[in-house]
Amino acid sequence: MEQEKIIEAKELGSLLLDVGVSLLSSGASCSRIRITMRRLATAYHYDAHISIAPKSISLTLNVEKEYVIFNGMRSTPSQGVNFKTISGISRLSWEAVENELSIHQVRDKLNALLALPHYPRIIILTFVSLAGAGFCFSFGGKLLEMIIAFGATFCGLFIRQEAIKRKFNPYFCVFFGSLTASMFAGAFIKAGLNINFEHAFATSVLFLIPGVPLINSFTDLIDGNILNGIVRGVNALMFSMAIAFGLLVTMIIYNLN
Amino acid sequence: MDWILILSTAFWSGWAALGFGILFNVPPRTLFALWIGGAIGVLIKLTLLQFSVSVVLASFIGASAVGMLSIPIAHKRHVPPMIFAIPAVIPLIPGVFAYRTMLGLIKLTGTIGADYNLILSETINNAAKTLFIIMSLAIGVAIPMHVMRKESAKNIRL
Repeated sequence: MEQEKIIEAKELGSLLLDVGVSLLSSGASCSRIRITMRRLATAYHYDAHISIAPKSISLTLNVEKEYVIFNGMRSTPSQGVNFKTISGISRLSWEAVENELSIHQVRDKLNALLALPHYPRIIILTFVSLAGAGFCFSFGGKLLEMIIAFGATFCGLFIRQEAIKRKFNPYFCVFFGSLTASMFAGAFIKAGLNINFEHAFATSVLFLIPGVPLINSFTDLIDGNILNGIVRGVNALMFSMAIAFGLLVTMIIYNLN
Repeated sequence: MDWILILSTAFWSGWAALGFGILFNVPPRTLFALWIGGAIGVLIKLTLLQFSVSVVLASFIGASAVGMLSIPIAHKRHVPPMIFAIPAVIPLIPGVFAYRTMLGLIKLTGTIGADYNLILSETINNAAKTLFIIMSLAIGVAIPMHVMRKESAKNIRL
């Protein structure tokens, strides 16, 4: 009996840590990670104590609020924002509670969820470029500038994806994306086309803005996870600096002012 | 700014929200809602700007509207509210102010000339706007959950 309990706790602990690190690396806020892990632990009558560091999660499971039965820690895999994982895990945690799934069933469903594909690459490239064109219009761009923003975003995102594939430092990936996009947009300005400099240039790099870290940073700060909030904020700032640096290099190369 | 321009800006902002949704790999069932959400946020912001509301407050109200909208959509589409809310407020991000701040900072590294004070105050103005708009977006998105004081959108009855 005692032995079975320990094995169950180990399986649950490992499952919870996997859920936690998947959420953390997909861009969930700290309170969401905590709530989801606790919800699952409570469903199996354990008491979970969780500590979330910027790149790892530690977990202790207690039985009946008395003794510790599981101790563990896991570091996050490097992976980009993935909202499909977050919404899938949220659904899964409710399903586990409501239908009283076994730990093995939840584990199988989690693995299936993590294996779900992204959108096809060409769809991502096209729609993000369309978003770039949309941004350009909302900042006052005309048709020609929108087309340039579309092309710049397409090239920039393509280069960034390639850089990520080759496992460059993430800030360098953003720098390469920003450099490519602004070089593309700058070429039209340099060619003497009669376009608004600011609209074409500023909107060509907007697809790189670290929107998820920025908003999560403030969400964490409001929830009192100050340390995680600061880490995410500084991370977002670093990405912004990488964008700025790419623009700066383009301006130096093209001698634009 | 006339109303046709406002409406078409909102239309294109919807595409911006949708594009970011695809970049963040949101479930396909939320895509249409995202388009609507992005358009509504910008529509509210631009309408308020017409009535000479400050850009920070207008962005805040736009983001709060998106945040409020995220709860019924979370129910309908079975996703956590933030999945909808984060891509939908991205069109409200002050890209131009951020860009001008960065450009100003680069200029400030140059030699001190006659227009240095002007550049300094413009840069600080743009930086403050950027910071406060981004803060108001985050708060606007977070507000519904905090106002209703519930841990999960599932417990919020509408």
